Amino acid sequence: MEDQTFTNSTYWKSIDEKYQNEGWRKVAENEFKNSPYSEFLNGTNRRDFLKLMGASIALASTSCVRRPVDHIVPYANRPPEVTPGIANYYASTYAHAGQGFGTIVKTREGRPIKMEGNPSHPMNQGGLSAMAQAQVLSVYDPDRIKNPAKQNENGEFEKISWDDLDEQVHKQLRSGGVVLLTSSLASPTTEMAIKDFFTGFNGRHVVWEPLAADDVMNGQEASYGQRVVPRYRFDKAKMVVSVGCDFFGTWISPIEHMRDFMKGRKLNSNMNKLVVFEPSMTLTGANADTRLMVRASHQVSVVMGLLYEIIVKQKASRYASDGQVLAALKKFENVAAEIGVEADLMSAIAKDLWANRGASIVVAGGLAGRTENAIALQIATNFLNTVLENDGQTIDATNIPVKSFEGSYAAMKSLIADMNAGRVKTLIINNVNPVYALAKKFGFEEALSKVQMVIYMGQHVDETARFAHYLAPDHHHLENWGDLELQKGVYSIQQPTIRPMYDTRSMQLSMISWAYQAEVGPARLKDVDSWLDYLKNAWKQKQSEVGSIGPFDVFWTNFLKEGVVDTSNRNGKRNHGGTTRKFLLSSLNKITKSKSDGTELVLFASIGQYDGSYANLSWLQELPDPVTKIVWDSYLMMSPEKAKELGVTDGHIVEIKTSSDVVSVPAFVQPGMHKDVVALAVGLGRTSVGAVGDGIGVNGFTLVQNQSGEPVFSAIPVTISKTGQERELANSQGHHWMEGRQIVVQATIKDYLKKADANIHKHKVFSIWPKYEYKGYRWAMSIDLTTCTGCSACVIACQSENNIPSVGRRFVIEGREMHWMRIDRYYVGDEKDPQVVFQPMLCQHCENAPCETVCPVLATTHSDEGLNQMTYNRCVGTRYCSNNCPYKVRRFNWFAYDTIKKPLNLALNPDVTVRSRGVMEKCTFCVQRIHVAKDNAKDENRTVKDGEIKTACQESCPTQAITFGNLNDPESRISKEHAQENSYGVLEEYNTVPMVKYRTKVRNTEHLASDHQEGGHS
Amino acid sequence: MIQREPLVTGNKTYQDISNDICSVVETKPGTGWWKIFFVAKGGFLIHLITIFIICAVGMGLQAVSHPIGWGTDIITFVFWVGIGHAGTLISAILFLFRQKWRTGINRAAEAMTIFAVMVAGLFPLIHTGRPWLAFWLIPYPNQRGPLWVNFRSPLLWDVFAVSTYLTVSLVFWYVGMVPDIATIRDRAKNKVRKLIYGVMSLGWRGTNRDWQHYESAYLILAGLATPLVLSVHSIVSFDFAVSMLPGWHTTIFPPYFVAGAIFSGFAMVVTLMVLIRIAFPHMKHYVTVNHLEVMNKIIMTTGMMVGYAYASEFFIAWYSGVEYEKYAFINRAFGPMWWSYWIMATCNVIIPQVFWFKAARRSIPIMFVVSIFVNIGMWFERFVITVTSLHRDFLPANWGPFKMTLYDFGLLIGSFGMFFTLFLIFIRVLPMVAMSEVKPMLKVGKEKNHHGGH
Repeated sequence: MEDQTFTNSTYWKSIDEKYQNEGWRKVAENEFKNSPYSEFLNGTNRRDFLKLMGASIALASTSCVRRPVDHIVPYANRPPEVTPGIANYYASTYAHAGQGFGTIVKTREGRPIKMEGNPSHPMNQGGLSAMAQAQVLSVYDPDRIKNPAKQNENGEFEKISWDDLDEQVHKQLRSGGVVLLTSSLASPTTEMAIKDFFTGFNGRHVVWEPLAADDVMNGQEASYGQRVVPRYRFDKAKMVVSVGCDFFGTWISPIEHMRDFMKGRKLNSNMNKLVVFEPSMTLTGANADTRLMVRASHQVSVVMGLLYEIIVKQKASRYASDGQVLAALKKFENVAAEIGVEADLMSAIAKDLWANRGASIVVAGGLAGRTENAIALQIATNFLNTVLENDGQTIDATNIPVKSFEGSYAAMKSLIADMNAGRVKTLIINNVNPVYALAKKFGFEEALSKVQMVIYMGQHVDETARFAHYLAPDHHHLENWGDLELQKGVYSIQQPTIRPMYDTRSMQLSMISWAYQAEVGPARLKDVDSWLDYLKNAWKQKQSEVGSIGPFDVFWTNFLKEGVVDTSNRNGKRNHGGTTRKFLLSSLNKITKSKSDGTELVLFASIGQYDGSYANLSWLQELPDPVTKIVWDSYLMMSPEKAKELGVTDGHIVEIKTSSDVVSVPAFVQPGMHKDVVALAVGLGRTSVGAVGDGIGVNGFTLVQNQSGEPVFSAIPVTISKTGQERELANSQGHHWMEGRQIVVQATIKDYLKKADANIHKHKVFSIWPKYEYKGYRWAMSIDLTTCTGCSACVIACQSENNIPSVGRRFVIEGREMHWMRIDRYYVGDEKDPQVVFQPMLCQHCENAPCETVCPVLATTHSDEGLNQMTYNRCVGTRYCSNNCPYKVRRFNWFAYDTIKKPLNLALNPDVTVRSRGVMEKCTFCVQRIHVAKDNAKDENRTVKDGEIKTACQESCPTQAITFGNLNDPESRISKEHAQENSYGVLEEYNTVPMVKYRTKVRNTEHLASDHQEGGHS
Repeated sequence: MIQREPLVTGNKTYQDISNDICSVVETKPGTGWWKIFFVAKGGFLIHLITIFIICAVGMGLQAVSHPIGWGTDIITFVFWVGIGHAGTLISAILFLFRQKWRTGINRAAEAMTIFAVMVAGLFPLIHTGRPWLAFWLIPYPNQRGPLWVNFRSPLLWDVFAVSTYLTVSLVFWYVGMVPDIATIRDRAKNKVRKLIYGVMSLGWRGTNRDWQHYESAYLILAGLATPLVLSVHSIVSFDFAVSMLPGWHTTIFPPYFVAGAIFSGFAMVVTLMVLIRIAFPHMKHYVTVNHLEVMNKIIMTTGMMVGYAYASEFFIAWYSGVEYEKYAFINRAFGPMWWSYWIMATCNVIIPQVFWFKAARRSIPIMFVVSIFVNIGMWFERFVITVTSLHRDFLPANWGPFKMTLYDFGLLIGSFGMFFTLFLIFIRVLPMVAMSEVKPMLKVGKEKNHHGGH
């Protein structure tokens, strides 16, 4: 950002001194009435305070480097809510383009430092995705827009004041033709404010996001006449069939799906079952009990084939004699052979589905489902769910449907048409990036030139902002107030946890200001002092609606405290599946068989990058993809057969040619891909997001095909050719097969029920030394591999909690990544069609730790509570401990990772030392959290209660696969977990006595007899 | 009675010996020496610059990474420590066994030991993440807590073993040199020289008393140094053997390492002696082909001992039934780094077999080439042990490659630069053959035309 050469501090001074006027100040100061920092406004301001904190962090974090300290000021005027050294927690909510979570934001001395899931939020219930957890980094992103600006003739953004901006914008707005383009906001009050805004100004609100769920809505509309995204209730489903839908990874509400699904993953004869038909390997497919590879273009055939099995072959359901249905199914008589699935297996799946009718789910959708025939896939899936009587049971479209996905490509199409026709005079774009995420062939970029004024409200001068006349930067959501209704009746509050880092202004306040200056719109909009007032006024009206009586202040305080008002769960309403809707059989006419030949491209959203918005966050760039384990790059996933056919291996650059586009990208041989399918992630290839994200990978969105305004992400016919060039891929995992070792133990539920320790090879170990007696606490962990999905939320949780640096692509290739918690992913069985197992691997805190005996300087020692401790200051860096660690979980600071670009250092957790160059580090079992709990217990003269300490990984885990606690307490959950018969330690035969134990991965392959890989660890 | 071949050829008198050996110290070096010296010094400079950059920027400049925590530094450390074995073995053990042939080469071999151990000693320092704190490995009463060292760690044993070895070798070497330094002092023609060598000769007067004390001191030191020859490399091998890594955790390591050390040390002595014979032709009378032949026999013997160790490791890996152990050894020979294993086996086991032939044992070009191969092979032996064991251990997810960087090569080449710089200076300032030990080897009084006296 060329225009922002001034430093932050002079900038802030100049704003206060030069541009400050009465109205602005009033609004700005009141916006954060409830902020814990409002006290500072009189004396020390937040910025000075942060500067001081920054200085002390620098001191704390660089124990080996002596730096001059300019000034140290004691924390004399302490605000009542803030105690130095004690964390404050604020309930909040985070939503991005439809995906949302209730959060708890941990702050220290006024800085958000950690995102946790809000356990009382009914959707994520304490779990939190990797993307959401990285938000503490995004608020401190040094590449954020720091002030309002105007684009000059040279295409540079010149800083202007909010007053100047408002002056010019509100005049323009009065001339009408205003369009506000946003992604799904899911915020009732913001949407109310937008409505109010458009009563004042002539125009409309358009909602679009690149990964919209409008295929689901279109399908629902066609099938049931109701445009809705239903709530999928995996907790109620005993049989789940996914057709190309990555509902564990990125689809709709993955954290909720995983959590709900695992509620049915009980190790008894009632265990649920997951069958996945998919073209490319996804996280969901990796977790399947039975996974079947199909072409992307065959997805409709899969669903219709299952319908054929049930209705025609088994003559089940009330549609068995319906002529219209039979006619529609006729074409799909022999699909098993066509799609390359064993016919017996197909009927076994259909039988299981029918046997579990009313308690099963068939899902399809997401990017892999958005073929040219996307609507047919949705209708077929809806029909199958209706046939199975799931609608109104496990699929809730009427009771508490999802409210957060509103965006649609149809809306974008009409917007582009309007822009081209000159009907849009002013386009306000908030936090969406169509120039990047919408391929040129959709014509957005071209249409943009026909708009008189483009105002961009976003975090970065991104690809779209480059076309804007004005930048009116929005707050980061951690700086802004808001409310959300992610599912019907689930209201949650978004509280700011830090005063704005820069001279930004919330979108809502911008609208309020413009309405005020133009003197239009309803009084409730233009006459409020701040967005917070508007929000509170709205909730005053709504208080009775959500069933709360009593004074508003009490309600409001409780709302802020809890973070959520859940009207969806009154009288067990949430557990009710809604009503069964009538399926419109006429929609079956839209189902056609897709053509399929040649190689098909499937675009997918990755867990780390999703739609590409957070490409500037190094944590997410360096988060190994759960399936491929690759970081910092784009790659084309292809089957081993395809790679052989093309004569390529990992890293050979191939050219992907569609009918209209060409993209070159390194190949990656991915076991478990359908042989005629190649897959590429969207969300990379950003060119204008910041220092971290620019130029990483290629933009997969450019390959999206335009089917008269509807996007085609999947089954795109492509030709792949070898270019002869190479580019090494940064794969964080070295080898992907277990080589017959007992690392991850698998069993089928049948074997498990026969013998709980099935497939565990036990070793007799003995020692000539007496065991150490642990008298007080003895900390230990258990990880259930059955419920662990490999989603990698824990990796980011650990990174955020423990100040773990990212190292970059080159150094991952060199093997210098620093993650304390990593997810090892192994394949089992055939390379073409393997099973996948995941294993979170972290310091095992061995009782007989091999690392401890070999350290010459006693830098790593054992505590009397069973922790394997690392004393950074004592370490001279011989790396002997790492060599002797059989799990290789120790990480060495190869370079000085403690020099952190400001203000990213504010995201550091002050409770955890920032390690200097040349020292070893590793998982501590979150010893800082153990200490907080022990201190609290001591204050209250008691011992630590079971469950009081949660490690960061455990806390974020959506499926609660991780248990932590005191092994010396026989009643604790951890003692019970360790005592389970299917609990085992990795490399137990070496008598390291690991304190982390794993429970075997159990799959349910009952009735699916033709499944060829069962159990074992090969 | 069959006469032994004389240990010194060329009908040398005592005077000749003094002249031959002292002349190297007393004359100005020729252009040849300077050329070699500048090449060596260039290498040394590379060494210093590389060390400086690594200390300033970080260990990450080298190939070591996760999971391969030890790389070029430790390989080269073990390599040089190994080379450092020959000197003390020749001077101490052969002295105790009254092997008189040692006298021609013991001084140079001891010097080689000292310099090799000095070069080696730097590497454990460089390879630590924070070399400026490496002194924490030394146990002494301190104000850091006081924090003590971990006596259970083989790395600490290493510190003691190597530092003791260096100290004893240095004292042994110096004490042995005192009469010779006195000779140089006596021959000195200017005052400065006289003063310097005078101080260094510790007041040696060559009296009967001096000789009596000297010889008992030398015997005692030889007795002290002898166990160290065996202990130091045994302890270096503990760095590996005491850990639990497959490929390291092996009981055969101590004898295997000692044999390997003697093997490489002797090869290095042969390399150096051949070069000295070329550079100073009159040295051929003191370092004769007989000397070299004896050393070649030892090279072949110890080469077969390490060959046996290689074979027995494979046998034990199979016999133990431990899957990780088995995999480690199969991976050594047939994994992605198979080439390093086969370079090692070829250089160390196959090539020295040419010494079965007497002609080869006595051929200067052949023995020179073989000695170079042995040196290469022994560097690769340590590479195979360190890197191929680490790069694929227990959990396959950890496996990783090892790609040497410029900095690795800088250190490797630089270590040779440092070694040769020191050695070249040595031959110009100190007598490279033990005059006082060689002189008794002459058959004075038994032959006709001797001039006598010294």
